[in-house]
Amino acid sequence: MRPFTHINARTVKQAVTALAQQNGAARLNAGGTDLFGLLKDEYLPAYPDMIVNIKTIAGLNYIKEDKNFLRIGALTRLADISKSSLLRQRYAVLADAAHSVATPQIRNVATLGGNLCQDVRCCYYRYPRHIGGPIQCARKGSGACLAVTGDNRNHAILGGKRCFAVCPSDTAVALTLYDARLLVVGPGGERQIAVGDFYTPLKNGLRSDEMVREIQIPRLPEVPQQTFLKFTLRKPIDFAVVSVAALVSQATGICTEARIALGAVAPGIVRADAAEKFLRGRPLTAETAAQAAELALADARPLSRNAYKINIATALVTRALLGQKECEIPPDEVKAYNPTELSTFHRCSSSTPPGYATVVESGTATP
Amino acid sequence: MSDEYRFIGRSTRRKDATEVVTGATRYVNDLKFAELLHGKVLRSPHPHANLKSIDKSRAEQLPGVKAVLTWEDVPDWKGGTPRITRVLDSKVRYVGDAVALVAATTEDIARQALSLIDVEYELLPAVFDVDAAMQPGAPQLYEQLPGNIVTPGMPAFGPNSLREVVMGDVEQGFGEADVIIEGTFGYENIPNPIPPEPPGAVALWEEPNRVTLWVSNQASYLDTIILHHVFGRKVEVRTHGAACGGSFGTKLLSWQLQSHAVLLSKATGRPVKLIYSKEEHIAAFVLRPGSRMQARVGMKKGGTVTAVSGKWLVDTGFYSMTTQAQVAVGCGEIQLMTRCANWDLQTAVVCTNRNASGGVRGFGGQELKCSFIPLLCQAMEQLDLDPVEFIKKNYVKPGDGYFWRDGAWYTYRGIDYSDSMEQGAQCFGWKENWQGWLQPSSVAGTKRRGVGVGVHGNADIGEDSSEAHVRLNPDGSVLLFSCITEHGTGQRSNYVKMVAEVLQVPMERVSITDADSQINPFEYGPFGSRGTYAIGSAAIRAAEDARRQLFEIIAPRLKARPDELDTADGVVFVTADPDRRTSWRAMGHERTILGYGRFDPDFTLANCMTTFVEVEVDTETGKVDLLRVVNATDVGQIIDPPGLEGQLNGCLGSSGIDSALFEETVLDDRTGHILNANMIDYKWRTFSELPSIDNVVLETPVDSNRFKAIGVGEVATSPGPMAILMAVSNAIGVWLHEYPATPERVLKALGRVKARSHTGGAA
Amino acid sequence: MATAPAEKRPPAKHVSLVVNGRAVELEIGSQPHQISPSHTLAHTLRETLGLTGTKVTCDNGACGTCTVLMDGAAILSCMTLTVECHGRSIISIEGLADGKTGKLDPLQQSFIDHTAFQCGFCTPGMIMSAKSLLLENPSPVEDEVKEALSGNFCRCISHYQVLRAVMAVAGKEA
Repeated sequence: MRPFTHINARTVKQAVTALAQQNGAARLNAGGTDLFGLLKDEYLPAYPDMIVNIKTIAGLNYIKEDKNFLRIGALTRLADISKSSLLRQRYAVLADAAHSVATPQIRNVATLGGNLCQDVRCCYYRYPRHIGGPIQCARKGSGACLAVTGDNRNHAILGGKRCFAVCPSDTAVALTLYDARLLVVGPGGERQIAVGDFYTPLKNGLRSDEMVREIQIPRLPEVPQQTFLKFTLRKPIDFAVVSVAALVSQATGICTEARIALGAVAPGIVRADAAEKFLRGRPLTAETAAQAAELALADARPLSRNAYKINIATALVTRALLGQKECEIPPDEVKAYNPTELSTFHRCSSSTPPGYATVVESGTATP
Repeated sequence: MSDEYRFIGRSTRRKDATEVVTGATRYVNDLKFAELLHGKVLRSPHPHANLKSIDKSRAEQLPGVKAVLTWEDVPDWKGGTPRITRVLDSKVRYVGDAVALVAATTEDIARQALSLIDVEYELLPAVFDVDAAMQPGAPQLYEQLPGNIVTPGMPAFGPNSLREVVMGDVEQGFGEADVIIEGTFGYENIPNPIPPEPPGAVALWEEPNRVTLWVSNQASYLDTIILHHVFGRKVEVRTHGAACGGSFGTKLLSWQLQSHAVLLSKATGRPVKLIYSKEEHIAAFVLRPGSRMQARVGMKKGGTVTAVSGKWLVDTGFYSMTTQAQVAVGCGEIQLMTRCANWDLQTAVVCTNRNASGGVRGFGGQELKCSFIPLLCQAMEQLDLDPVEFIKKNYVKPGDGYFWRDGAWYTYRGIDYSDSMEQGAQCFGWKENWQGWLQPSSVAGTKRRGVGVGVHGNADIGEDSSEAHVRLNPDGSVLLFSCITEHGTGQRSNYVKMVAEVLQVPMERVSITDADSQINPFEYGPFGSRGTYAIGSAAIRAAEDARRQLFEIIAPRLKARPDELDTADGVVFVTADPDRRTSWRAMGHERTILGYGRFDPDFTLANCMTTFVEVEVDTETGKVDLLRVVNATDVGQIIDPPGLEGQLNGCLGSSGIDSALFEETVLDDRTGHILNANMIDYKWRTFSELPSIDNVVLETPVDSNRFKAIGVGEVATSPGPMAILMAVSNAIGVWLHEYPATPERVLKALGRVKARSHTGGAA
Repeated sequence: MATAPAEKRPPAKHVSLVVNGRAVELEIGSQPHQISPSHTLAHTLRETLGLTGTKVTCDNGACGTCTVLMDGAAILSCMTLTVECHGRSIISIEGLADGKTGKLDPLQQSFIDHTAFQCGFCTPGMIMSAKSLLLENPSPVEDEVKEALSGNFCRCISHYQVLRAVMAVAGKEA
């Protein structure tokens, strides 16, 4: 990596003061797992002059619930969020979303604040400098969005404007579902931003001299049915193709509350207002869930190669509302042979009679 | 399985195991050198351009920079087949092509220097599609290659190297067919095997004309020969093959980066290390060739193929080094799996403005069959043929013949693989699951399961030459001279095992030399599946030769004839009277015995791998999950069970089965950028996504070497991709012919992607 | 009390950490024996401390090859700044065997016994991820092993043999 000045901030004030003094040329380092992509691939026009380590700020790693809010310190690690028994019991969507991020090694250092503030994953935007890059685009302030006429399989189907990159944060989906807000600190003091309003097509809502200090979730009075689903080509590592979080409360068979949040379909996290309104006061059935899902995607306007995301999002919304994590073929429907071992080495003789006899090696080498 | 052996066929520890698990194994980047400089390559942002001017003065002034080289500074060294690709050229031919080289005291300084080189490009139109590249008026990558068609034939395979399959009477064959199918099918997602260790080398030039390289390659001896030719046969080249962190064939194409390191060392007089970043590895190293086949096949009701005609187009990217060889081997392999009397299959290797393709595990045959088997499937569907019965009937049988890579006709003398196919099918439960073409094996809700099968085999198990020496020491220890790097197959340990078996000494008493080209005899290297039969034969023969010499020397001492003697554990004894014995020390303490072994090519044996897969498709999301895999093969004699199991499990990695599921290199066909040159966006299989695997391995002795064994490592990756497409098509009830079977493609095949108004490019 | 502005404070001159049980003091600077603020832990381990057992595949946080333990937890040394390791305890693959007797860690021995590697380049990272799991959960079930290793890349497909090797020592750690 190219050189930079490095400081360890001891307080939030020190951190934002440094940001302000550097006037846009400093970057915060929380977990670093997104920052290093920028530092190593140098995909942005400007390289940071200074890295401000904020891990050295004490007291920003907590999960606590008071009368009004569940409060999470911005430096709380994703591993701690995914393993928190409080969250597992009452805010399971957030715990699941945190667990779905990246890999165990990354979750051991990545923070909630960092996950929310990470840069987009657009393949044009992040194209590395060292292989004939970087590629200029609207998000970098010059030129058009290359995804519109290029490879847009992972881009926005909703709300794209000048830039069609999607919000890559999984935890933002959960937080938007919970109507959470960010407590943001700048040189002039603190302000609050709803997570649902935090992301816009070209950037997030943080000024270059601000940092997120705390995430506040309005306390859930009860524990509703809640489900987080993330569609990827494989687990883990991948960023979502589509992710959906849904929350439903029912009384006497009727939905008293219904919330749906969609991630990776738009520059920000989308709350499906029309679908939520449709469900409130109706019973939750496979049919109403499917109707709600149609409503949730009614405004989708796909690009040339991402219409398939509408299918996936529709399926995920339906399943999330119904609380289906996975649907599987029942074992008795499966024909023949269900292996009991994950892998088996059958050493056979060529004259084995029908009926199939094998010698199974344990795979242990002798000296 | 034979109990007659002391080591062969038994699970033994890898010789390098302790080093591997303690981190002590030295890969190229782990070697230490005094005064080492770091090399970096400036890469082109354009897919096709002339270099109008390069100003390197700012870079040269940066403290720590020791050399900056452009095409104007370097000799006219060229590589490739034909040898027309310069190590640095006045023209760039893909996004990522080398523009200039820097050597500096640290990597950071070298990289910073790259940003200080000012280049003026004259942009040229670029072409990214093989058909478009052959059109009149298409951009031309090389003056020497009109129409961008690479000179056919692989000189190393001889003047008649195979470039087509022509025999019999095609028209007559089609006349005999009950069904004739015609179509164009491709395997064009150019996946990348991405070994974990990136390509790299260290070079040390010594004036006037000598260079030593430390390389990462499965075949380090070949680097010596390749570079000798690249350097105009005027430079003495020595290579040290370090431990190789995976190659899968690709690292044979390291000549360009090795040459860059050599040029920088020549310019600075210091050792220069040049290691690619993972981004360079994916965007500027070796991809699988793109394969597109327009063909016609005739088939009879019973599954007899009566005729095949057509054209196989192979996209090699900006140059070819091995692609004609892949075409030659592929043309041979297609005959192994299709017993057909009438052929007219033509080929062309075509250059396009993208990163180069080259040798990857499956070497031509995987690429060809991934295009060809979907065509056969159309015919099988028409005739309602079970594909397992088809491959059993059509895979090469003893007495059959085929044209192999040198253009000569060979008669197959190996085994009939039907037994392994049948046992694999039984293990998989094929009969219970096969419901006919485009029929799922089970359905529940949105989930549908389907099964598929693929087959692949290669007569490369006896290709090319190998040599080895075996030295017996009076203390009873043994040294095997073989220019082999350990690249993951465990074969270095297996050759030790073979030598130990011949000489009946514990494996601990047998060492193997480092892969130094100066101390070892010729070794082509472990390509294809030649390791066990070809390289193993050289080691066995060298051990046998040493044993014979030992007996000749010791026989008088035991008052016996040499042929009456035997040896075990460093003792020679009379077979009929084991008490008449003496230790190897009797050879004399001022003596060593050096045996020599050689293997010459033999194309009359072939291996075979059949892979069965079951997938589950979610018809709402288009997601395809691989549930289980059964590999079935016959290896004659297992050398090392865990090593073989690892090779077979390798079917999932190195752009094998997964190239039909999620692996692909994403090329922007407007700009030429590879858009997923990182290990998040290039997908690979994780521990969370392991299907169950059964490996069914038969051991029918085959007339190969002393141990009746043949190799199968290479072919593990190859049958899977086509089996996946078959399984997905069966699951969803409609044909899916594009690799990989992404949700987008599955949903499109199902007709479920809704057409909606586009944004109209609102940006 | 007001804190001094960041840039007025003298920069830390040293980073002190423990590597494989040994205290290590690193000077910050631009000389070859010093570390730069931009150096990753992977770079420092390999180039400054000569501990080349930690391998680097992607150098971008996606493959797990460079995994080491930081205070017992598996982290990626390519995504960690050395200057941010002050006061931390790092264990790399070289630190697993018994320092006095040289006896291998049971995990290492099990990897040998099961030939749980092919090219071996990813093996140190695999072992460190597995070690981190066993420290936290000495008796994992197979799914927990898969989860713990889910961020580790292997292209040869040694996964199945690695699972056997780890499960063979699960529940047997001292």
